[in-house]
Amino acid sequence: MMIFRIAWRNVWRSRGRSLVVMGSIVLGIWALIIGTGFMNGFMVSYMADVINHDISNIQIHNPEFKNDYDIKFSIPDGLNKAKELASWEGVRGATARSLVRGMISSAKKASGIEIRGIDPETEARVTRLDSIVVDGRYFKGIRRNPLLLGEKLARELNVRVKSKVVLTFNDGHGEITAAAFRVAGIIKSSSVKMNGGYAFVLRKDLNKLLGLGNVVHEIALVTDPLVDEDQIVKKYHQLYPNDLAETWSEIAPELNFMQEMYGSMLYVLMGIIMTALVFGIINTMLMAVLERIRELGMLMAVGMVRAKVYLMVMVETIFLSLAGAPVGLGIGWLTIKYFRHVGLDLSNYSAALETYGYSSILYPYVETQTYFIVTLGVIITAIIGAMYPSWKAIHLKPVEALHKI
Amino acid sequence: MSIIRATDIYKTYTETTVPVHALNGVTMEISEGEFTAIVGPSGCGKTTLLNILGGLDHPTSGEVEIANTDITSMSDNALIDFRLKNIGFVFQAYNLIPVLTAIENVEFILLLQKAEKKLREQRSMELLSQMGIADKAHQRPSELSGGQQQRVAVARALASNPKFILADEPTANLDSSSTSNLLDIMAKMNHETHTTFVFSTHDQRVIRKAKRVITLEDGRIVSDQMA
Repeated sequence: MMIFRIAWRNVWRSRGRSLVVMGSIVLGIWALIIGTGFMNGFMVSYMADVINHDISNIQIHNPEFKNDYDIKFSIPDGLNKAKELASWEGVRGATARSLVRGMISSAKKASGIEIRGIDPETEARVTRLDSIVVDGRYFKGIRRNPLLLGEKLARELNVRVKSKVVLTFNDGHGEITAAAFRVAGIIKSSSVKMNGGYAFVLRKDLNKLLGLGNVVHEIALVTDPLVDEDQIVKKYHQLYPNDLAETWSEIAPELNFMQEMYGSMLYVLMGIIMTALVFGIINTMLMAVLERIRELGMLMAVGMVRAKVYLMVMVETIFLSLAGAPVGLGIGWLTIKYFRHVGLDLSNYSAALETYGYSSILYPYVETQTYFIVTLGVIITAIIGAMYPSWKAIHLKPVEALHKI
Repeated sequence: MSIIRATDIYKTYTETTVPVHALNGVTMEISEGEFTAIVGPSGCGKTTLLNILGGLDHPTSGEVEIANTDITSMSDNALIDFRLKNIGFVFQAYNLIPVLTAIENVEFILLLQKAEKKLREQRSMELLSQMGIADKAHQRPSELSGGQQQRVAVARALASNPKFILADEPTANLDSSSTSNLLDIMAKMNHETHTTFVFSTHDQRVIRKAKRVITLEDGRIVSDQMA
């Protein structure tokens, strides 16, 4: 196709100018991939932390408990259900918890928290709570009433490992009860709640204080990767229609919103970068057209129809834009691959990041489809950028164009 | 047989502050196989007349028939197609496509006419051989001399077997040796293939070669002589 040949060769007619445009496209695409990768990295690490260490993939409650958080509403036969669920296909682990809201106080300060009575062994399988202990030991080293709390809460209360704290809450009979616990370990998570909103105690210790027997208020499940959580919820509801099973997206809709918002950020970023690029492309192609007025006039004089002239300028613009795209995509891909492997250390900003629940080591992540979306974005940008120069080209009058100096 | 018939052509440019009357009632006929030069001083209307005869511009009034087809009322798009099939152009500044080689420049016209690849290549090479520049077929215009470029332009104009060739001051940018070569080639093509050539020029060497000389002054034909 001669038009394509002419268009491609025309791209290289003004090598320096074309390379500047290509360079800006390379840079734009690279910035887009990197920006998206880092945003995804923030999101994935935050979501993974919240899902893995806090809310899990699926939670089961007594529906009444969800409504008003009254500890009388436990899951009937909760322990056996948790054991049964742990053996289901696609479920990696299940753990039972008893929960109550109360107050934790030290010599320095008191703070409102959620007290979570857990079984350390099954809990570790589900939330890997043992893996985020940064000081002390996971329910070991303290003989009576051990407790785990988050780093932020420990700092606020001014307590350390083996310090005594008092938990106060209403028991199952509505009476205010208080008990002394000792800090066995301090955990650190990028989840704001885990760091400052929970105190973990042994379920048997808590249940003894609640006075309601061996109750279970919550069962948390972790599923295998790529398992459809909705199918497990559906199956559970068929077996136990009186219980409420929910996936993480129902329990924490803000995570879903966050995922969607970060997803749309790709398009926002792309819009900003491509808008800047489109003006560069228009400028370059307009110069190319204005420099070649006589040549374009000649083409129309000898019989090249306007549609073909339009197509030729359009193809030239697309070539100019797409020539830089593979390089930008390649460099972007390599950068993501590198930082995915080594991580980007943002520990200088860790205090600020952790306030918002983000990890200070960032592992950028870009989905394969992003590369296709970016390529499509560049093509659309090129087409938009080509429209005005092409329009300008076909509105030349051959007789006037031929005599332009 | 008359191939070009222009009747009472007027052309006035009104875009200027003072209207310019470039052609004032030109009537002429050119027959098949002629080798005609349109001459006259600068600004006499030679280029305007050639543009109108070639369907590149519309007259303000009057009628132009090319091979019995009235082109004055044709739309711009219809004229593009008409030019492709009927008219060959040679320009003063050669106007080759700089990114294409000599043979690709010639082939380009045939491609617009949707000719097959084999035919395109064969015809283009044949024309370049006739122009004496077959050895330059794969060189780009920037690698050719002015005379060689103009010979490629003539080959391009001939490629589509047009009814006639319009050449607007084809030798204006050439030295005497290149001019002589080019004129010899065009005269040979005219003689051997009866291709009709119409030039605008004030180059005496071209005028001497022409079989017919039409002289314009102030947009009017003041003489029309056969050599």
